[in-house]
This record gives sequence, C-alpha cells and structure tokens, in this order.
Amino acid sequence: MGVTAGVVLLAILLAPAVSPDQAFRDANELVRAGDHPKAIAAYGQLAASGHESASLYWNWAQAAQARGASGEALWALLRARELEPGDRAVARELERLRDALNLDPAEVAPEPLAVAARTARRYRLDLVALSLLGLSVMARLFSRSRVGPPWAGSAAWTTLAAGLLAALVPVAASLARPTAAVVRRAAPLLDAASPTAEAFGSLREGEVVPVLETSGEWLRVEDNAGARGWAHAADVRRLDAAPLPSPAETR
Amino acid sequence: MKTVALGLLLVASASSAAAFTLRSEVDARKVGVEDQLQLTLTVEGGDAPDEVPLPALSNLEVVGGPFTSTQVSIVNGRMSQSRSYTYALKPRAVGRAEVGPAKAGDQTAPAIPIEVVAGRLREREPRAADPFGRDPFGQDPFGGLFESGRGRRAPPKLQVQAALSRTQLRVGEPLVLTYSLLTQSSVTDLQFKDAPRFSGFWVEDLEKPDTAPSGEAATVDGESYRRFPVLRKLLFPTKAGTLALPAATFRIRLARQGFFDAVEAVERSTQPLSVTVEPLPEAEGFAGAVGRFRVGASLDRDRVALGEAATLRFRVEGTGNLKWIDRGPEVVVKGARVFPPQGKSELRATAEGVTGSRSWEFVVVPETSGTLSVPALSFSYFDPQAGRIVAAATTPLTLDVVGGPAAAGSAAAAPGAPSRAGSPLALRSALDRPLAASLSARTVSFCTALALVLHAAIWGADRLRRGDESARRAAPRALRAARRELARVGAQAMTKEQAAALVEKALHEAFGDVSDGDSSERARTLRALIDDVRYVRYAPQLGDYTDKLKDLAARADEAVRRWA
Repeated sequence: MGVTAGVVLLAILLAPAVSPDQAFRDANELVRAGDHPKAIAAYGQLAASGHESASLYWNWAQAAQARGASGEALWALLRARELEPGDRAVARELERLRDALNLDPAEVAPEPLAVAARTARRYRLDLVALSLLGLSVMARLFSRSRVGPPWAGSAAWTTLAAGLLAALVPVAASLARPTAAVVRRAAPLLDAASPTAEAFGSLREGEVVPVLETSGEWLRVEDNAGARGWAHAADVRRLDAAPLPSPAETR
Repeated sequence: MKTVALGLLLVASASSAAAFTLRSEVDARKVGVEDQLQLTLTVEGGDAPDEVPLPALSNLEVVGGPFTSTQVSIVNGRMSQSRSYTYALKPRAVGRAEVGPAKAGDQTAPAIPIEVVAGRLREREPRAADPFGRDPFGQDPFGGLFESGRGRRAPPKLQVQAALSRTQLRVGEPLVLTYSLLTQSSVTDLQFKDAPRFSGFWVEDLEKPDTAPSGEAATVDGESYRRFPVLRKLLFPTKAGTLALPAATFRIRLARQGFFDAVEAVERSTQPLSVTVEPLPEAEGFAGAVGRFRVGASLDRDRVALGEAATLRFRVEGTGNLKWIDRGPEVVVKGARVFPPQGKSELRATAEGVTGSRSWEFVVVPETSGTLSVPALSFSYFDPQAGRIVAAATTPLTLDVVGGPAAAGSAAAAPGAPSRAGSPLALRSALDRPLAASLSARTVSFCTALALVLHAAIWGADRLRRGDESARRAAPRALRAARRELARVGAQAMTKEQAAALVEKALHEAFGDVSDGDSSERARTLRALIDDVRYVRYAPQLGDYTDKLKDLAARADEAVRRWA
C-alpha cells in the first residue's frame, strides 16, 4: 500500500502537465490507499496553486479526520463553507465535528459579521445590489418621460431602497476581522512572534479565533477567553485565504 | 506606650442592641494648672452618629480641637470603623475639674473627675533651637499622638509567602499553591502588583480556606506574626521537567496609626518556587486522564420500537484532571445509527483536584429489529497512587428492538449518515469550481454611491425645471392686484372696451405670454379666454355686454385662482 501511494505521489509531483482534475483524483486515490499525509499534501498543493473548491476541502477534511487531525478537518470544512456557503453537507459535517470537539457554537463563530459575508457570497448580494441600483436609476429616468407609466416613480424608490439594503450586507461584511482555525491540539499562544518566545497559554483545537495582526509566518490572535498572543501559521490557519504550500509537511 | 486610659470608661448602655459604642477618655487624671490634657471621644460601629457633642466641662477650657480621625480596618473580610474627636483642654484653677457625661445617640459615657494641682506635672517637650526646624510648633499638645506620622515609626513587619502542597509529581496531577500574609500590623488592602504567570500549568482557583478572623500564630526568624492565607490555586502541570513558579509581588496597604498619617502601602514578594514534573507513561487508548475515576454506561430503556431512539449515557466520575477529558468514547453499535454525543459536566475544584463527573449522551437510533449489543466502552487513566495506567471499561449492554423486519443485527450505518462512528464519508470525485469571486466592498460602495449621485442629479434637474416654471408665475401681490381688477368688471360703470381691456390686462399680469406651442389644458383655456375677451373688446356695440363681461371676468378669476 505504501509503495502504491508513493508511486502515485511521485506521479503527481513529476508530471507537470497533469490537470488539476487528475491531480485531485490522484489525491483521492491516496486517501483510499490510506496514505492520508500525502493526500493532504497533494490537496494542499492544489489549493496553493489556486484550484480551491468546496469538494477539495471536503476531501481534505475526510483525510484529516481519518488521520485523527480533527482541528485540521474542521478548518478544511470551514474553508469549504467559505467557498460554497450553501453546501448543506459541509454545514452538517461541520456541526458534527464541532460537537465531537466539544466546542461551543460561539467558539467557531467569533465574528458575527462573517455570517453576513457568507450570506452575501451565497446569494450574490453584490450583483443583486448593483442590478437593483441600476434598475432604480432607469426607473427614475423613465418616470420623467411623458411615456413613462405612473408606477415608474414608485418603482424607482422601491428598487433604490432594496438596492441600498442589499449593498449594505457585503459592505458591512467587509468590516469583519479575518479569522483562523486552530488545527493543532493545545497550540501554544506565545508572547512574541518568535519560536523562542514564551508560551503563556494554549489554544483549543478547532477553536476559531480572530486574526489581529500578521508578521511573516506568525499570526497575532485572540482566543475566546480574550487572551491575545502569537501563534504559528501552521498551528492556526486562516479561513480567508488558501493555505501555504504543503502545510502538512512544514511542521 | 503612653499612660492613656485613666478614664477608659466603656459605655454601660441600657440597650444591649446598640450598634455602636461610645468612649470618653482623658490622658491624665491629675494635672498641673499649667499643663494641658487631651480628651478623646470615640465612637465605633456601623451606626455611629456623625457628630458627638462636647460634654460639659467643669474648671476646664478648650484650647484646641476638635481634631477628627477615622480609622477603617479590614481583616479577613471583616470591616470595623471608628471615629475619634480629640480636644486639648487646659485647667482654669487649682482644685477639682470634671469632664461631664458624654452623650451620642442613646449611648452615654460617664463623667471623668480630674484633680488639678499647682504648677506643672507634665514635662514640656524641649523647644527646638531652630523655630523652623523639625517641629515648628514646639509644644504641640498632640505631639505624642502624631509622632507616628512624622517618620519615627518603625517599618512595618510584613511578609508574604507562597507554599506548594508538593514539589514532585507527574503531568496532570494536582498541587495546591497557597499565598499567605504574615503581619504584625493591621492591613486594609492586599492585591497583586504583578500577577504571577503559571507557565506550564493548568490553573483553577480554589475557595479561600476557612480560618479564624484573627489568623493563626506563626513565628518566622524569631518574630511572631499572624498568618492569613489570602489565595489558593490548584495547579496541574501540563508538561514534564522542572517547572518554575516565579515570585509574585503584592501591594499591601496598612491601616493608619494616627489621624494625620498617610495611608501607607508596601510591596512584598514571595520566593520563586519550582516543581519537578515527571512524564506520564504512554499506552494505547490513554489520553492523559490522571486521577482516580469510575466509569459507567447505561441505556435509558432496554426495549425500543424500531424507528424510535434510545439514549446511551457514558459517565466518568472521580477526582483528578477531569477537565482535560474533553472527548467521549467512540461508540459503534451494529444495526444502529449513533449520533454525536452531548457532553455534560458537574465539576468542582478542590484541593485534591477537580472532583465531579463528566458524561456524554449518545442518541442511538436502531435501523433493524432484534437484539442490539452496545459494546463495552473503555476509558484509560493514570492512577497516581498505583503508579500505572488503569484501563476501565463499562459493562456491555443490550437493546431489544421490536417491530419491523429482523436483519440479524448486521446492518451497518448508511454511508454519509450524520454519525459514522469513525468511518470516513465518501470522497467527492469532481473538483468543482467555486462560486465566482465576489465584487469587492469598494466596488459595491462605489456603484452604490454612483447610483445615489445619478438619482440626485435627476432629482436636481427636475427641481431646476420646476424652478423655471415657477419663475414664470406672477408674484402673489400681482395676482391679488389682478383679481382686484377683475372684481371691478361689472361692479363699476365702464365701457365694454374698458372692461375687456381690464380683463385682458389682469390675465397678462397673472400669466404673462401664453406660448402657442403649449398644448396643456391651462394654455388652451387661457387662449380661449383671451380670444373671447378680444372678441367682446373689438366687436361693435350691438347690445348689452354686461353679462358677457361678468362671465368673462368670472372665468378669468377662476383661471387665476386655479393656475396662476
């Protein structure tokens, strides 16, 4: 099994012309073969090269769970939800994993505005807002002309109000702080962005924390108890961006 | 110490329920006529009155005071408060003198007799050569009273100590850290200046121990102190090695000794401590629980109909690092779907560790009829007393499922079920494309602002257009003048030419020139009216046009009222 997995991974690495779909299928084969670390590495490469999708992170989560890395699995599912907010299977699995990790719902949703961001993305409220605003301008112009119907003025006001409301959601969501999920059990919370810094606390696996600042590979985060400190990007992965290349191999 | 309390006379109150006490004291019962003496009235207690009147004085006069001082002491959470009023008195003549009975509220302090002799009995404090030296007031009658506030008091004897219940243990075992205050003085407040950081420990607060309000006697370096435990922490080391507990610094406020004393605060630090922590042994299924535990499993029912659910409860109870146990066991019941558990905790920190129980409740939904077997659930923990890992297990349980087709209890949970008890979900085979990227908030904001600007521009253009129209309208004064002229038509004697000219003039004043290209109702009406007026004006005088002119004036007035 190991030899097969190695050959598959080698094929992935040495074949530059392989399509993303083929690389994805090869990584799935690695999962089925039981070589979860290499499968995760392959998923990570795909994500880092820009081929992110909810399916990729879904499979990544399954591989991480099979490996016993529940925090990483939760992060992958959260990332899948960021990309595909309407995926109900992802939402169900997230809830199950959160329960299994004994996490409170608030511990995986520290930023209320993040919900607005997902809602805006799911229903494409940005495009809805622009369409309504455009319609309102047209209705207003139409209401001025002699041939315009009498309801054009009301329609202009209605569509303007609806467009402003729809635009409010993505604009407000942009104020949300970026967040990250803790993928390592008892990840240390350090007092400086340095490997030699002193650990004064630890983060719960699976906990989602707001990112206050970044410095190279270090993130300054705030845990649910309000403690602020630095954590390594390999221990605390951001939900608003693709992971660094080969995260499974870096630590 | 001075010989105070010649007249320490505690209140003999008739009311035993009094919430305060009153004392009247003098610092000497026998004085020379050239001496001074101090009278101190003290009330103590929560309901003490704000004022204590000076008692009647016989053969004495007041030469200073009253000087008020308030003292609040908090010892072991108990607060006591007292207030003193001090007077400087001087005898008037040799003989007998008396401080009369002092009264405050329903409390009375008895009178104090004083004997006054000739000359001076009390030694005068030597006057300093320099009048602006250390004490510019020289013979201060309260010198003795205040001297403690002038830097002559000995430094307070205080210590803080940190003590560990043990210094050698294993990862996950509890130890108690106690901070104590050793003092010879009254203390009003104590708090951390630098809170200690327990790096490498899981920390729980413990309740303060029940100790006597007066503390307990302790001797350190030959000095006698009262010891008060002030804080206790329960620590669990989270890693092996020699772990340091750094010194903690306390800021301590002392009670005032005199009423001119400033509140004094001192800082004291504990000694740094260290503990040696040994690692835990490793074993399969052992997740770090340390202590002494019992495990149990139960089903809320033995028999269930197919389609209904039973609840499986797994419970761990005992004393140790129970808070570290954050996951329930993996439960697989063949022929049933097991949903993720809900955890419950009833925990309390004690000096022996965290005591209580944690339980997980699994909802089990049978998918087939027959007898389902709930296997033994295992739980491993390290027993510090035995020094080994103990594998505890629950008793296997059975659940009878009635109704529906029997399947010999071999049905597995369906793929993709909410709980797969460890089996991974099916992988997705296609790398689907994510949703198109959303527009940035800046873009949305810009487009929104643009739409608002366009609306504003259209609205502004409308306003401008309406402004032009209103500019063409006559001023209200002109309208009123026009209507007055129209009212003259028919009311005053004038020729038809004059009357028609008046109507035409009024219309012109009200509406100006009416464009031929304007097809509105207003323009059409006005043009018809003007045509009629001109017809009457230029027509030959063939009859009486009075009624016609009145009608034209009325129509013109209506047009002015309606449109002008």
